[in-house]
Amino acid sequence: MEITFKINGKEAKPDIDPAMPLLWVVRDELNLKATKFGCGAALCGACTLHIDGEAYRSCSIPVSFAAGKEVTTLEGLSESEDNLHPVQQAWMEENVPQCGYCQPGFMMAAAGLLAKNPNPTDEDIKNSISNICRCGTQPRILKAIKRAAQIKQTVTV
Amino acid sequence: MATENTPTKKKFSRRKFLQRGAIVFGGTIVATIAAKGPIRRFVAQIAENTDTPLLISNLEPTFWFEIMPDNTIQYKSTKLEMRQGVFTGLAMLAAEELEIPLEQIKVVHANTANGVEDALGTGGSNSTLTLYKPIREVAATMREMLKAQAAKQWNVPITAIKVENGVMTSGNHKATYYEISTSTKEWKAPETPALKPTSAFKYVGKNVKRIDLQPKVMGKPIFGIDQSLPDMLYAVILQSPYIGGTLKSLKNSKEAAKISGVVQVIEIKDFVEKADLVAVVAKNRYAAEMGLQKLEAVWDIPKKWQQAEFEALTTVGVGTDVRIQSEGSPESILEESPDLVFKQEYRTPLATHAHMEPNGAVAQVEKDKATVFVGTQASTMFRGNIAKVIDMESEQINIETTFAGGSFGRRVDSKHAEKVARIAQIVGKPVHVFNTRQQEFQNAVYRPQTHHVLSAKISKEGNIEAITHNQATPDQILGMLPANLGYTLLGADFVSAGHGASILYNIEHKSATMWQNKLPVQTGIWRAVGMFPNTFAIESFMNELAHKTGKDPLKMRLDLLSGNEQINQRYKKVLETLAEKAAGTNPKSQESGAELPLVTTAKVLRQR
Repeated sequence: MEITFKINGKEAKPDIDPAMPLLWVVRDELNLKATKFGCGAALCGACTLHIDGEAYRSCSIPVSFAAGKEVTTLEGLSESEDNLHPVQQAWMEENVPQCGYCQPGFMMAAAGLLAKNPNPTDEDIKNSISNICRCGTQPRILKAIKRAAQIKQTVTV
Repeated sequence: MATENTPTKKKFSRRKFLQRGAIVFGGTIVATIAAKGPIRRFVAQIAENTDTPLLISNLEPTFWFEIMPDNTIQYKSTKLEMRQGVFTGLAMLAAEELEIPLEQIKVVHANTANGVEDALGTGGSNSTLTLYKPIREVAATMREMLKAQAAKQWNVPITAIKVENGVMTSGNHKATYYEISTSTKEWKAPETPALKPTSAFKYVGKNVKRIDLQPKVMGKPIFGIDQSLPDMLYAVILQSPYIGGTLKSLKNSKEAAKISGVVQVIEIKDFVEKADLVAVVAKNRYAAEMGLQKLEAVWDIPKKWQQAEFEALTTVGVGTDVRIQSEGSPESILEESPDLVFKQEYRTPLATHAHMEPNGAVAQVEKDKATVFVGTQASTMFRGNIAKVIDMESEQINIETTFAGGSFGRRVDSKHAEKVARIAQIVGKPVHVFNTRQQEFQNAVYRPQTHHVLSAKISKEGNIEAITHNQATPDQILGMLPANLGYTLLGADFVSAGHGASILYNIEHKSATMWQNKLPVQTGIWRAVGMFPNTFAIESFMNELAHKTGKDPLKMRLDLLSGNEQINQRYKKVLETLAEKAAGTNPKSQESGAELPLVTTAKVLRQR
C-alpha cells in the first residue's frame, strides 16, 4: 500500500506494508541511515525522529501513522552542512560523540525539547530525555543542550 | 600465515599495488625498511604484558600513509574506531612528525584487501600503547624521504629545507608533499630519524577535538548496520532463547516463506559446532522479522540453569588451578597462624556488553571472492573464520571495517559474520544481518563473573607479612584458541581474564592463583579484561586491610611500593598524583577506608 508523507521537506510515497515500523521505512526504503536501530521497543531512543515537529521513537510506530504528516530525521535537521542546527553546532563544540551511534537520536530529542523549552535546566533535560548512551556521553550532552539553547537564542535575537 | 606457504594462491601483490597508486607510501614497504627494527623491538617488549585477545602470528604493525592530490595525508587505520578516539589519537601522533595540521590528516579504516593488517587486532587497550612510537617513526621517515627528494631536485642540502603545513621550501623553491611524492618512482628510506622531543609536541598532551565529529554529528552512514549494497536482502537469524538450547524441530517454514517480502527460509543442519543455522531472508528487515515470528521452533533444553549454579561453578577451589605468582611461602605462613589471618571474598557479576549497535554484518559473496562489511576488533581472525564456512581461502575474503557503535570487547566474536556470509552465498545476493536486542542479550558472549578470595597475615605490629589472591573465573580467550592449546596447555586464562591478578605490592610472601571453569554460556573479553575484577578485589582488600590495621590507605600503599623498580616508581607517582588531585575533596567517610578508588594497570605502569 502506498503511504504518502513528507520527509525532510520532500514527498515520499513508499509502497509498503502500512504496519512496517517507520524506522525501517526511513532507513531501508528511503535510505536515510542517520536514524538508528537500538532496541526495537521504544526504550533506548536511538531511533528518535520528528513527526510534525514532535519527537517520536520510530522503531515502534507504524509507517501509516506518518501518512499526510511531516517527518524530519537528522539528515533534515539543518539547512545545509555549512549552516548547522544549533544542536549540531553545540554537539561539535562540546566534542560530544564517542562511538556516535546513539547521537542522532539524542540530537533529535534535544532539538525537540528546545523547540518546546528554549532554556531548559539540567533537571528539565533529565526529565524529558530518556535516551540511552552506553559510552557515557551524558554529561557532555547536558552541556551541549544548554549551549545549543544559547546559540539558538543568539541566532533568533 | 597461510599466504606465506602458498604464494601462488596469493591474490594480491603489495608491490603491484604500490606501483598502481599515484604514490602510496604504503606503510608496508617504506615503513618496514625504515622502522622494522624499532617496531619489532618495541612490540616484543610489550607483547609479554599485553592481554591480547588473539593468537598472534605476526606482531609487526603495518602502516599505510598515502599522500592525496589535495596534499592531505590519508592514514589507513588497522585499528577499529569503536568509540575511544583511536583515529584522532593516531592522527595526532602522525601530525607531530609530518609537520602538518591535524585537519590535514584523514583517517579511514584499512580493509584487508590492501594488505595492511594487524594481527594484534583492536583490544586490550593496546592501540595507542603499541603504536605510540612506531607511527611517529614511520611518519618521520616519510617526511625525511620527501625532504631528501626535494633536496635532490633543488640541489640543496637537506638541512636547508623547511617544512610547514606539508609544504617544503628552500630559498625560492617551494613544493607540496604531493608534488614531490609524484616526482619520482625511486625512493630510498633513510635510517629512522630522531623523533621530536615530547616538549615540542603540538597536539599530543593537548585537548583536541575528535576528527570524526563531522560524520557523527551529521549522521553519515558510517556504521556496519548502515551499509547498503544494490539488490541487498535482509536476514534475521533464529537463535535459541535458552542456554545450551539446540533445535529439535522447526514448524511453519512454508508459512513463513509465504509472508509478503520473504524470499527464502534457510535451514542448514550442523552449520558450525553442530549448531543449525536457520534464517529468514527477505526484501526488507520488517518482512524478515515477521517471517521469523511465524517460525515455530521447538528447542531441546539440556538443563534449565539457575544463577546459583553459575556461581557455584565460579568459586575458588572449583576447576583447574594455575599458579600465576609465587614469591616466598605465603600459604604455609598463613596456615601457621590462623588467628592472625584476615580473609575477605569478593564477587563480580556476569555481564553483557550492551553496545548500542547490535552485532551484525553485511556480506556479498561472489564466485571467487567475498566482501564483508563489519565493525570488528579482529579483521584477520574474521577473515579466516568466514573463509572456512564459505569454503574459500582467507585471501579471497575482504573485510571492510566500518565504524562500530560501541564494542567494549564484544566485536571479536565472528559468528554473525560467518552466518551472514554463508547466507549471502546461498541466496547469491548481498545480505544484511543484525541481531535483535533480545538476541543481543540472550545470545551474548558474556563478561565472565569472578570470585576472589584474598587472605593476608597481619603481624602483631600491624605489618602485612603474607598475602594470597585466588581468582575463580571462566575464561575470556581460551574458547577462541584450539582446545589443546587453550584449556589443555594454558589451563587457565591468565593472559586475559587473569590479567592483574598478581599482587604488585612489596610483600615478602605473596601468591596468586587462578581457578578456571567453563560456564554453559560463552564468555569473552570485556574492556580492561581481568584488570577490572582483579583491581576491584585486590584494592578493596587493601582498603580493608588499611582499615583493619588503622593505617591510612594511601600511606600504606606507598610504603608497600618502596623499591627502585620502575613499576613501583610509576605506581607511586600515580598514587601521589591521585592524592594531590583529591586534596580538598571531601571523602564521604573517613572511617570506611574505602576512599581510595583505584584502577591500576600494570601494563601501562610497566611500559611507558
